[in-house]
Amino acid sequence: MECLVPNSQPRPATTAGWKLSHIRPWVQTGFLGVWLAPVGQWLHGIPSCVFHCYSCPLSSFACPVGVAANYAALLPAAFEVPYLLIGLLLVVGTLGGSIVCGWACPFGFLQDLLGKITSQKVSLPGWVGHTRYGVLVGLVILLPLVLGFKGVPFEDQIVSICRLCPAGALEAGVPYSVQGLLAGNGWMMSWFKSAILLSFIAAALFVHRPWCRIFCPLGGLLALFNRFSLFHLRFNPKECVECNLCRSRCSMGVKVDQKVNVAGCIRCLECTTCGAITPAFALPQHKPEETTAAK
Amino acid sequence: MKRIPQPPVNPASRDLEHHDFRPGFIITLIGAILVFGGAQHLTNVDTVEGSTAWETQLIKAFSSGGLQYADQLAAPPPPKLDDPAAAAEALDRWARRPADASAPKWKVRVDTSAKTPCPT
Repeated sequence: MECLVPNSQPRPATTAGWKLSHIRPWVQTGFLGVWLAPVGQWLHGIPSCVFHCYSCPLSSFACPVGVAANYAALLPAAFEVPYLLIGLLLVVGTLGGSIVCGWACPFGFLQDLLGKITSQKVSLPGWVGHTRYGVLVGLVILLPLVLGFKGVPFEDQIVSICRLCPAGALEAGVPYSVQGLLAGNGWMMSWFKSAILLSFIAAALFVHRPWCRIFCPLGGLLALFNRFSLFHLRFNPKECVECNLCRSRCSMGVKVDQKVNVAGCIRCLECTTCGAITPAFALPQHKPEETTAAK
Repeated sequence: MKRIPQPPVNPASRDLEHHDFRPGFIITLIGAILVFGGAQHLTNVDTVEGSTAWETQLIKAFSSGGLQYADQLAAPPPPKLDDPAAAAEALDRWARRPADASAPKWKVRVDTSAKTPCPT
């Protein structure tokens, strides 16, 4: 593969970056075995770090977004701090930032696959990523909290993140509705949620990862760690020939030629194919001047 | 691959985006402590069996319809009217019972055996 832009030199993709690009779908497939492993559902007591509905018949872990919303709604009845959830997100976020979005999230993988069906893609402006924080604060925390104070348990809240979530519609609504159809009970999922699911699928055909880029509260939260996570992407100016391969490979619309460890990045590592951007892990460093001074 | 036009860049002046080890390590450590503590954390929520729910049991209750709220409990049934003579008096006594006499002392509790998928 070569990237040619008027102000640059042609440049082939690096071997390491090319390998990463080819390995990623297989890693994502492998992670499906983790999230879709119904090991007695005893792991439902532990939140996962990816966007995956806990009502899915095959889900192994609890959805972190659903757990957070439930905690918010529970607050008026019992004040509880979700230590497990906060701790898990801190560990995952500071270790890898949003790398789970690009390499482990089953819903992201589904959107990647849907995106391969069509080649024509609509580009989105970068500011749409801020909507994720509106969803996080408004739908996941404030709305369940307010309705909880009004005495409405989370399960009875007509408007909630779970009622609007396309992952819940696909992973739980569809299986149970099919089961209901087979049992003669008709389609169980509401028309509204079915419409959300169809809209999401249609959007994923023409926009790369629409849920991740516009709505995902979990991805938005994990992406905040990108600025200081131990795993990060490093820019090597000596390798850069201004070929623009990094930015052209980025399907999330990140301006990689300016800054790469930003909130819009899902750490898919496609940009590393150019060779100037390399994956790195922050390690403790010895300061040579201090040791010299000590001697 | 679609080519994206790029303004001229100066690689030499660009931020190398080097990340320090210490802040990430400290936050990871805090997170690990919270995970360890959360796994052993007993909540303020009771279980149906009368014990206190672990945090993991509470989280599992979210996904399995295992939360019971006090006001969702059905009111106590009226007395059986086997004796016609005492029926009116029994019904009157039942109707005049203190409103909070049968109200549970808990606001919410966890049914650890619940397996109903979340209806949302």
